[in-house]
Formats: sequence, structure tokens, C-alpha cells
Amino acid sequence: MRLSRFSVFNIGHTEDPYATYFNHELNQKIFEKVAKKCYLPTNRLLLDLIRKTDGKFRISYSLTGTFIEYCQMFIPELLDSFKDLIKTGAVELLDETYYHSLSSLFDDLDEFEDQVKQHRQTIKKIFNYTPKSFRNTETIYDNRIAAKVADMGYQAILTEGSERILGWRSPNFVYKSQYSDIKVLMRNYKLSDDVGFRFGAKNWSGYPLTADKYARWMSNSFGDVINLFMDYETFGEHQWEDTGIFKFLEHLPREVLKHDNLEFATVTEATNKYQPVGDIDVPWAISWADEDRNVSTWLGNNMQIACFNELKDIGRMLKKNKPKDKDLLNVWRLLQTSDHLYYLSTKGFEDGTVHAYFSPYEVPYDGFINYMNILQDLKEKVNHK
Amino acid sequence: MKVAMLGWEYPPFKVGGLGTHCYGLTHGLADKNVQIDFYMPKLRQKVKSDNKNIKIIEVGEPGDAIFPYDRPDDKSLGGKFFDLVHRYNSLLVARVKGNYDVVHVHDWLTMKAGVQIKENLHIPLVLTVHSTEYDRAGMLYPNQWFIDLEREGMQKADRIIAVSNYTKKIVVEKYGIPAEKITVIHNAVYPVEQEEEKKPLVLFLGRLTIQKGPEFFLKAAKKVLEYEDAKFVIAGVGDMMPKLINQAVDMGISNKVVFTGKLSEEEVQHIYKISSIYVMPSVSEPFGITALEAISAGTPTIVSRSAGVSEVLKNCFKVDFWDTDEMANKIIALLRYNPLHTAMRQSSKREVSLFTWDRVADQTLRVYRGLT
Repeated sequence: MRLSRFSVFNIGHTEDPYATYFNHELNQKIFEKVAKKCYLPTNRLLLDLIRKTDGKFRISYSLTGTFIEYCQMFIPELLDSFKDLIKTGAVELLDETYYHSLSSLFDDLDEFEDQVKQHRQTIKKIFNYTPKSFRNTETIYDNRIAAKVADMGYQAILTEGSERILGWRSPNFVYKSQYSDIKVLMRNYKLSDDVGFRFGAKNWSGYPLTADKYARWMSNSFGDVINLFMDYETFGEHQWEDTGIFKFLEHLPREVLKHDNLEFATVTEATNKYQPVGDIDVPWAISWADEDRNVSTWLGNNMQIACFNELKDIGRMLKKNKPKDKDLLNVWRLLQTSDHLYYLSTKGFEDGTVHAYFSPYEVPYDGFINYMNILQDLKEKVNHK
Repeated sequence: MKVAMLGWEYPPFKVGGLGTHCYGLTHGLADKNVQIDFYMPKLRQKVKSDNKNIKIIEVGEPGDAIFPYDRPDDKSLGGKFFDLVHRYNSLLVARVKGNYDVVHVHDWLTMKAGVQIKENLHIPLVLTVHSTEYDRAGMLYPNQWFIDLEREGMQKADRIIAVSNYTKKIVVEKYGIPAEKITVIHNAVYPVEQEEEKKPLVLFLGRLTIQKGPEFFLKAAKKVLEYEDAKFVIAGVGDMMPKLINQAVDMGISNKVVFTGKLSEEEVQHIYKISSIYVMPSVSEPFGITALEAISAGTPTIVSRSAGVSEVLKNCFKVDFWDTDEMANKIIALLRYNPLHTAMRQSSKREVSLFTWDRVADQTLRVYRGLT
């Protein structure tokens, strides 16, 4: 999600924060572009594959509330195509925070709980569906989050198959949280990133990745489950159509089902079928982002921490000073979307890698000024009697 | 490998970036066992070499120093300055003899001698372009006499080194030189060591000429001062000084603007260290080593997009020199938001430590080897 350009001279002069802070025109344009390249064709293909395999091909989705709003506003037929997918019975929906936020890292988890409930209500209303399992923003996970999500009644939660947590153990089994009654699926980052990151990389030893090769790799893997979690934009956006990604996807179910020891399952199905083989203990938050696989992508430097603290302060004041102001609450929550902090990351900036590619700012420092200025403007609004 | 390098200034006696460049380059090359005879005009004080591979050869009699950064206006075109330049070039031609592999000149001042020596000794001529007449004129009313001289040098050089892609583009587009003849080698910096406590100072440092854009700095200052308190330091001398002083008075900010006049090397280092922000709003800047110097002293920096350094430096702010609103926005943010200041200070310092003369020498040596 992109913010508008907002200089220090704009602070204190905003009439309509929602209209002013967010670059709605650009966000719409980007959404429509990605929908055309990725969401629409991939939905179409997956629906076809489910039908062709009589529902043996199975998928889980985690759609943010913001995403659903954009569908409603800009491309209603996209929402319809998700409804069609869900009707097949081969598709599971997961819950997450409505705003794809970092509220799970706030000092207390009330705000997190509110956003998850808001998401649950939206999914119920739009799809008449009640998710049983959970994935947090960017699969951020720690013991505290697991406890809260278990408390809220979910049966399973996704996170990264981090070696620091698993040690010698394989991600290809169901685990449970050491302190809470919730099952945990750990992403097989190697096999997931083979598709998500490396698919089109000509200098990769696995190139070109074909569906039968990939199915063979999976068939030869040891364990109960292979957790393939990836950005939906992998299909057509991160990996462009000319890499052959859609052809790969098209052949994948058939190739997988050729192997007797492979079948598809959604998150909840997998955790119903297999019992946990062990506990995982995660005192400090992990995620699927970057090489570090922790939260340093969003909270790795002083600028990010300053904005995050400001965001938390504004929330406290908002709930105290203007508890009934729904519009300001929505704006504050939209500003929690993890993207805004991601753009301020200086990780790998000297050698310029992933972040630069996805960032709308020339340098992270520009991103900081823009975001912080908006937060200062919102702060004035919140404090204004 | 033995190189005759024709310069006009060398530390400790220097007025601009060229002396620094020649010092860094000659030492980088000397460390790679290249022998350099560095020719320069004779000064009142003797310049000594501190490296066995570098020989400083002073030419002529100590007299009026040549100030290579000035653009004498038309009145003085035939005057003393050009007599001195002409005499220095003739003396160089007479003096440079021996077994050199390459003759290397910097900018227009020694171009004539370079061309002559190339022909006399039958050795290749390398020309480093640090600035062109178009830069010095701030792209307005360039002087044809200089342009012709520069073009001739560029045409006769066997290889041209440009200090940035920005400069390469000017050499190609304005002087009609084929791009294949030009190698871009970005400048380096000797870091300013030991930081000091920062004061709320925003620094401009450079000659007060149209090229360096000091009036844009003042305009930004005016806007900043409506929101944040700070002192704006204008360090340097130049023909625009009286105009700038009047401008500050007219804007009603003269109590917040400090003109330092000419600073010594130590004073320059000190001002880098205590400033909170360095701004380089140049209209046309081939490279801009001062940005690297300021950053190495722990000072977050805002550079003009029309500066070569902005091509290679990531951890800085880049603005259009005329966009004083954006310049002010960034100055205010740096003054107001400590975490921004800290983050920029740390990462930019780390980045600048990669801009070494060793790298410049490596690339330059590759140019020499391609010719011999």
C-alpha cells in the first residue's frame, strides 16, 4: 500500500486524513495491474485444476481485509472468482489481521485481537465462511502470539521453518506450541522458495524447474507434510508469465498425483490428519522475511522503531481521546500495514537488493520522512479536542 | 610503469578538490608500484613528497599563484592569469623529458602542455575531466575560448577519464567526443576522522559561484526557519558573496546565516564535524567530493541530482537544486527526527568507507595498461 507524498509543510493542514494520506489512485492502479497479471489468471487456472482433479488439488488462502476491500471497490469479479473457488470445497480460508498489521508485536494484544475479529467477521460476511486456522502477517510468530491465537479458538497456525527454532528437526512434520494448545505448520522454505524466488533464475542449479522434477523432489522428501507457503504474486508478478510459471502450475497437480506418497491438503486438513511430533519454543518473534527470518525487516533500525513507537502512542491516545471516531481508527489501522515499515528498511541497502525493488521510495530515508510526517499529522488530529 | 602527471596544486597547498584528487590518486598508484613524477607550479613554500614512488617537480619561479577555479570574465581574458597559464604550459613542455609511459593531465589548465608532450615523447595522453566550462558557468553563458581549448585537449587525448557519468554525458553531448573513448572513475575520499558533538548547524561549503547554487541554500534556509531553529553556515568565498549577504538581509534571516569567509584546512574539518547537515545544492557538479568528506565526518548529506556523486552514493538525500521546498522538507526532517539523523549518519558513513583511492588507482592503472 502506497502513501501520498506528505512533506513537513503539510503537517496540521489535513482535512480528510483517509483521502490525503493514502495514494488511492496509485493503489488502485497497482491493484488492477497485479490483478490482471496474477490474481485473475491464477484464480482461473486454479479453479480449472480443482475441477479437473475432482477436488484432489487443494489450496489455502489468507486474504487480508484490505485486499477484500480493494476487490469490492475496484474489481468485484475478482471477489466472485474467489467465491467460486471456495464453493468447490477444495479451498480453505485462513484468518489473519484485517490490516496485515504488526499489531501482534504491540505491548498488549488487544488491538491484535480486535483486528483478527474484524477479519473473521468480514470473511463470514463476504464468503459465509468461518476459518479454523490462522496465519499472522508475514508468518510472524512467537510463544505469546501462539497463546493468543490458541485462546481465540484456532486449531493451527503457520510460521517459518526456521532452523534456529527447529534445530536438527525437519519442517515436514506437524508441531505444537510448547506452551499452548495449538498446532504449528512450519514452512518448508527451501521447496517454497524454489518456486517463489528461484523459479526464473537461470543461474540456479535447479533451472529450469518443471512440474515433474518438483513433484519428484517432494516425493523423495521425508516426513508427513510439506508446507509450501508463498506470496500469491509469485504467479505472474514476482515470476512473470514468460518464465513459464503458469505452465508449471498447470502441470503440477497431475505430476504430484502420479506419486503414491503425495496428496494435497489444506492447512486444517493436514493438522487433522497428523499429530504433532514435537513442541516448538519461540521466545523471540520469527517470520518468513529475508535471510534473517525474524522481525528486523520491519523493526531493524532506529527509524522503523521510532515510527512503530509513534504508531503505538497514537493508538493509545486515540482510544483514550476519541474512542468513538471510527474514521480515525480506520486510518490509524491502515497506517499499521507492514508495508509502511518495510519501506524504511536499510538492510542490504548498501548493496541494494530485495527491498529496493519493492519500495516506492528512492531511499528509505525518504520513506521515513513521509511516513513520520503523516504520523505527526495524525497525532495532532488525535490530540485535538 | 612511469607516469608524468601535470597538475597545478598539491596538498598542503590547495584550494579545491583537484589537489585532493591528485594527492589521493598519486598515493593510490604509488602503492601499486607506479612511479609518478608530479609536475606543478613552483610556490613560495616547498612541497615535499612523502612517498618514494612520487617525485614532486616544481616548475618555474615562485610568483603569483594560479587560481585554477576562477573563470576570469572577458575583461581579463587576455590578462595576467592567462599569461601565467601560458608560461606554465611552456615551461612544462621544456621540462618534461625522459622515459615516461604515459602523460596524464587534469582539466584545461595543462591540456596544451599535455598535447605537446604527447607529440614530443610519442607517449599516450590521458586526460581526467574534473569539470568543464559548462559546469563552471552553471550551464549559462559558457565561454567559447575555454570550450575550444577543452575540446582540442579531449580530441587529442588517447583516453579520457570522467569523474562521473554526468560528466561523461557532457563530454559526449557538448564536446562531441565518442563515448567509447571515456572511462568513468568516480572519486574517493580520505575520511575526516574523529567526530565531534553536533551543533544545530546546516552547512554549505564551496565557492560562492553560480555553479555551486548557494542562493538555493538560502531560499531553503528561509523556509526551514519558519518551522525549526538552526544556524545556516555558508563557508567559502566567491563572486556571489555580496549578493548572498544582501539576499539574507532581505529575507530577514541574516541573524541565522553565518558567512565564514575563507577557511583553513583545519577549520574545514572542524566545521564538517560540528555540522548536523551538509547541503550541496550545485547547479552542475561533476562529482562533489565534499559530500563524501561531510559524510565521513558523520554529517548526513543532501545532494543535488545534478552532481556526479549522486550516481554512486546511496545513503544520502537527492534533490533537484531548484526544489527548495523539498530541500527544506528534508532539512527540517533531519533536524526534527533524531532516528533519521542517526540512521543516515551510520549507514552513510559505512558506505563512504568504501570510496577508497585504492579503487580509483586500480581503475586508473587499468586505463594506463590499456594504452601501453
